[in-house]
Amino acid sequence: MNEPSFFVGYAASLPADTKSFLLKVAAGWVFLMGALALTLSVATDDPGDGHFAGDAVLTGLVTNAPYPVLFLPPDAGHPLGHAVLLAGDGKTGAQSQSLSLEGKRAKASGYMLKRGELDMLVLGAVSAEPAAEPSASFNPAPLGRWRVTGEICDGKCYTGGMRPGTGLAHKACANLCIAGGAPPVFVSAAPVEGSIFLLMAGPDGGPAPQGIADLAGLPVQVEGDIERRGDLLVLKADWARAKEE
Amino acid sequence: MSVTYLAIGWNRNKIFYDCVIAAAALLYVSLFIRFVPRAGDGPMIDEPIIRMRAYGSCAFLMLSAILCIGPLARLDARWLPLLYNRRHFGVLTCGVALLHAYHVLGWYFAYSPTDPFVALLSSNQSFARVAGFPFEWLGLFALAMLLVLAATSHDFWLSFLTPPLWKAIHMGVYAAYVAVIGHIALGSMLAARNGALAMIATLSVCAVVPLHLLAARKSLSGGLFRATAQRQGWIAIGDPQSFIEDRGTVIEIPGGERAAVFRHTGKLSAMANACAHQNGPLGEGRVYNGCVTCPWHGFEYRLEDGCAPAPFTEKLATYALRLENGVVWLDTAARPPGTRIEPLELPGDAA
Ligand code: FES
Repeated sequence: MNEPSFFVGYAASLPADTKSFLLKVAAGWVFLMGALALTLSVATDDPGDGHFAGDAVLTGLVTNAPYPVLFLPPDAGHPLGHAVLLAGDGKTGAQSQSLSLEGKRAKASGYMLKRGELDMLVLGAVSAEPAAEPSASFNPAPLGRWRVTGEICDGKCYTGGMRPGTGLAHKACANLCIAGGAPPVFVSAAPVEGSIFLLMAGPDGGPAPQGIADLAGLPVQVEGDIERRGDLLVLKADWARAKEE
Repeated sequence: MSVTYLAIGWNRNKIFYDCVIAAAALLYVSLFIRFVPRAGDGPMIDEPIIRMRAYGSCAFLMLSAILCIGPLARLDARWLPLLYNRRHFGVLTCGVALLHAYHVLGWYFAYSPTDPFVALLSSNQSFARVAGFPFEWLGLFALAMLLVLAATSHDFWLSFLTPPLWKAIHMGVYAAYVAVIGHIALGSMLAARNGALAMIATLSVCAVVPLHLLAARKSLSGGLFRATAQRQGWIAIGDPQSFIEDRGTVIEIPGGERAAVFRHTGKLSAMANACAHQNGPLGEGRVYNGCVTCPWHGFEYRLEDGCAPAPFTEKLATYALRLENGVVWLDTAARPPGTRIEPLELPGDAA
């Protein structure tokens, strides 16, 4: 019987047949690892177009319910005015800077995150700015009751704070951002009145309850009242009744 | 137990082995990072996320390979040198997994007022869900397991913890593997729009599981000799000519024990089949320089008393043999480890 030579682990020299076999194994392993790296790497899913969009100084009206938003006056591109979500640095909300400016005109500077039509300003500084003319009003316009399906995301990572800033791998991070006060955004699977982003609110229009953390990152169905404020849709829902799809 | 613990002994083969596993890991990580699709002026996804994916998947593949080496070595002895050096592979895998965790902590769980470790353990509490389960815990469990295995990989710990306990702890590598499969399934595969990771994980499972089954089948049946007759505590184990010079034969003793019978210079000796180091199958080893040599890591035992030659102190139980009417018989009552039994002379057959 032509058996391979017997190798003892501590022996410094390998029998020739074992040696050539192991050289092939070594080459095969290096090749396999290279091939698998390429396979996985090029198959990276596109995380969407959220991105950093540079520094900005914006002037508008501050509101804090359910989450801090800066409403910019109407312009050519935004006949209804433009809502810019606000967040603090890192995984925090802008509340510590914006609450005292509720209902006031303010000048805010920081850097922008942008995904599609959704804009977020990560606040550096913000201060009250005396109004030259009366601010446009952003009174809510009710759009009725809707049942929507989509994902609960944190507005900051979703708009480009992280890429990818959605999904299961990102769930814990989203929870951390939302718990820190960043605005949660419901990303609807189908557009609602032309928009797929809805700022999330509790049924009373206040912040969404902490319990939404359980459903963040998952496909979720929920029923609630949608209202338009400027070009922003706000979804007021009883989140405790939201279901995983 | 060994009386001395040497610093890891290096020789050219081991250095080559370490270089190959390190080079494969390095190549993997650099190709992964380099070939992530780009969008505009940068990669499509965040650099730290690319790195956590590169290191995480690399550690997973290395762990899969480590688990394949054991059964491969049982099925084909040419893989044995890889088994002998597997600890280095394990320690490197643990290092790569740590880099994965480092990037996760420094990205997903950083930039928050909450401490990263607290955030890691507390920010997702959806333990009752499948999709959305805090898969980080599974990764953490696997990493902790790998750390324990890496930290106890030296022979000092083998001796300190005793081989059965050490072996039991090191079987934890299977728990780590299962946890890692769960970690990537719940953390990535479930939500991925492409099937590449799922395909690679499936390949891994399809290598690890069948190889273990094949090796187990070989251990259960292959080369195992069952007694042909039994009498007053002795079993007949066959014709003297059926034992091959300098080779072992594994004998199943009624009651579940196994003995290994060796023929050397035309004489037969028998000792316990389980090596005192990590229960390696001595009967699959050979007689080398007059000693039985374990096929797994090369521990040696003298034929006449089952003792490791000085300065080592391992001892194995021995078994008495006798020849009756041309049939070799083995006394199923094991003698205490290290008991000297004169090897059985086979008539007219001295080598
Ligand atoms: S099991 Fe390690 S030398 Fe026998």
